[in-house]
Amino acid sequence: MEETKPTLVLEHVSKSFGDFAAVSDLSLQVRPGRVFGLIGPNGAGKTTTIRMIVNITVPDSGRIELFGQQMNTAMQDRIGYLPEERGLYKRMKVGEQLRFFAELKGLRGQESEARIDSWLGKLQLTGWKEKRTKELSKGMQQKVQFITSVIHDPDLVILDEPFSGLDPVNVDLMKETILEQKAAGKTIILSTHQMEIAEKLCDDVCMINKSRKVLDGKLREIRRSFSRNAVALQFAGGDGLLNDPALVANVRPNGDEFEVLLVPGKNPQELLRRLVEAGVPVTKFELVEPSLHDIFIEKAREVA
Amino acid sequence: MRKLLAVVKREYVQRVRSKFFVVATILGPVMLAAFAILPPLMSGIKGGGPTRLAIADQTGKMYERVARELTRDKKSNKSGATEPPTQPPVGNRNPREQVDQAGRLFQRSFLLEEVHLDNRSLDQIRSQLDSRIQQRDLDGYIVLPPNLLKDEQPEFRARNSADLLTQNSVRDAISRAVRGQRLVEAGIKETDVEKASEPVSLKTTGAGGAESNGQASYYFVFAIDLLIYMSVLLYGQLVLGAVIEEKETRIAEILFSSMRSFPLMMGKLVGVSLVALTQLGIWAAAFLIFSLWAAGGSAITLPQVPRMLFLYFALYFLMGFFIYATIYAVVGSMVTTTQEGGQLALPVVLMLVAGFYLTFSIMRNPNSPLAFWASIFPFFAPITMLSRIVTETPPMWQIALSFGIGVVTIVGLVWLASRIYRVGMLMYGKKATIPEVWRWIKQS
Repeated sequence: MEETKPTLVLEHVSKSFGDFAAVSDLSLQVRPGRVFGLIGPNGAGKTTTIRMIVNITVPDSGRIELFGQQMNTAMQDRIGYLPEERGLYKRMKVGEQLRFFAELKGLRGQESEARIDSWLGKLQLTGWKEKRTKELSKGMQQKVQFITSVIHDPDLVILDEPFSGLDPVNVDLMKETILEQKAAGKTIILSTHQMEIAEKLCDDVCMINKSRKVLDGKLREIRRSFSRNAVALQFAGGDGLLNDPALVANVRPNGDEFEVLLVPGKNPQELLRRLVEAGVPVTKFELVEPSLHDIFIEKAREVA
Repeated sequence: MRKLLAVVKREYVQRVRSKFFVVATILGPVMLAAFAILPPLMSGIKGGGPTRLAIADQTGKMYERVARELTRDKKSNKSGATEPPTQPPVGNRNPREQVDQAGRLFQRSFLLEEVHLDNRSLDQIRSQLDSRIQQRDLDGYIVLPPNLLKDEQPEFRARNSADLLTQNSVRDAISRAVRGQRLVEAGIKETDVEKASEPVSLKTTGAGGAESNGQASYYFVFAIDLLIYMSVLLYGQLVLGAVIEEKETRIAEILFSSMRSFPLMMGKLVGVSLVALTQLGIWAAAFLIFSLWAAGGSAITLPQVPRMLFLYFALYFLMGFFIYATIYAVVGSMVTTTQEGGQLALPVVLMLVAGFYLTFSIMRNPNSPLAFWASIFPFFAPITMLSRIVTETPPMWQIALSFGIGVVTIVGLVWLASRIYRVGMLMYGKKATIPEVWRWIKQS
């Protein structure tokens, strides 16, 4: 896996609009067959980065290499792109719409028709092929939009906030579909600010904040390296027990439980022993790896 | 290229199938016919009957002459004799005949009576005639003063003093009568005077060599101009709407992730132009079929349209469409709503309107320097050159020159536009300013 050539390479890419730097000196690698999370808050520069990857805009400086070649227009056919802002022709029928977007990616005829039917079936839209797009609900339109980004069987699928506006059932359906694409060997770039979803789907992540990369690597490794001796704790009794600065650095109530951050170097077993000795019933004691959310907040603070 | 064709196909199929297209295709000729037929029809209705004039002749010898001149006016029009001009036009007549009739009605016919002076004073006569005018027994009267033949001014009083056409007829008739009388009194024989004042009747010949009626071809040019003006405007605005839709619904983002902006814009323009040509083609075919049917023994005859004119029309329509629709596409990419687009596109529309108004002057003098430059200037040429071709076909090199300049203009515009288009289409939320647009052009 490590030896395979990366699908996408960005080297020192920068893009600004007037005085505003949207992306500064961004370098990253996306490896084939993996889900790559591009995460960051709104306005961090995710969309600008993606637009450069799909060749909608050109970087001011730096280099973008896709499938081992310098980015060019012909390569656009090998990319599938679901933009954050959805756009479909409202008055066109669903089938026609998909046929048109497939044709823009160089896919026509029988093949195109077969894939349209198969995708509509997979996303539970079979009966809607001859309906006008404006008659569809928002969630359904979003699924149609998703189909436009994968209909031509691209090697690289870029999904910008694919879950926004979907109900829980469809969120699961979408997750499943993304994982299917991954299993089929596609490279997927997933841009989102919903850290919980990124956490569940991504193999690698790159965090950007205020136009700069703040973190990047395999998700598992990142989380391990950010492990901070934290315990999720649920017990009956006052939090007076946790009031020992020699052991506990910070306590944060989280619903009906506490997130306890231990002083670096201290063993969590020490805390458990004290609780048991105090005789309070412990209903939950769990070592937690930091969430992407926490990591992000920490990194964002560092930058600021 | 395939992608461009995909865009062309989408634009064409979607639009030709739309209700708008069907309705416009049916209503277009109806509207145009209304525009072409209504004005003459309306002036015909206003004409009503002959103008009833009384003449008070204080010279005692001029009535006969003036009356003759006033009625000669009418008879000089050759068709005036065959059909009483008082009859209002009836609906189902061919446009040319209606125009003729309108022309006759402009010239008016007069119902004359001599006022017997009977030693009454002029004031008494006037008050009597004025009251008759008030009772609508009379439309006006003329007073010929005793010294008319020297320099005294005749007087014309009419209920409708704004009716310039009648005023002109009266003035001309009196002038001729006075001239005739002066000549006779100077010793020239009446028959010679009569011969000398025989009016000339113009035989007007149009571009195709066919005899035509001046006023009819005036309306024909007007109709052609109106048609090309409306088509360019309508289909230009269709492009504006389509571009704004793609921008606002963010479809542009997907389109740009699949193709470059030049084929995208070209595809859109070509697609919509084909829609327009389809519509115009349907109209032309309908017109031809109708005129064939009309030629086969029906009483209706349509104006003879030289076949070449269809080709010229198509070419100049395309030129106008590509120039204006390209500008519309750029405007669409710069704004966020249709209203804003309308405002920003106003100068564009004014340019088209200016071309339209220029034709009025060009028709009067199709070979003037003004006509030449206006029909070479690419933003006016689609309308102005076409009017020149219809009124008096200019030398081939001029047509070729205007067309060449048009093509160069289009290429330049499209090149410039696709640079603005790409940036504009991806900028959301606010209207672009001119300095910003300038920067985009330089950057890309």
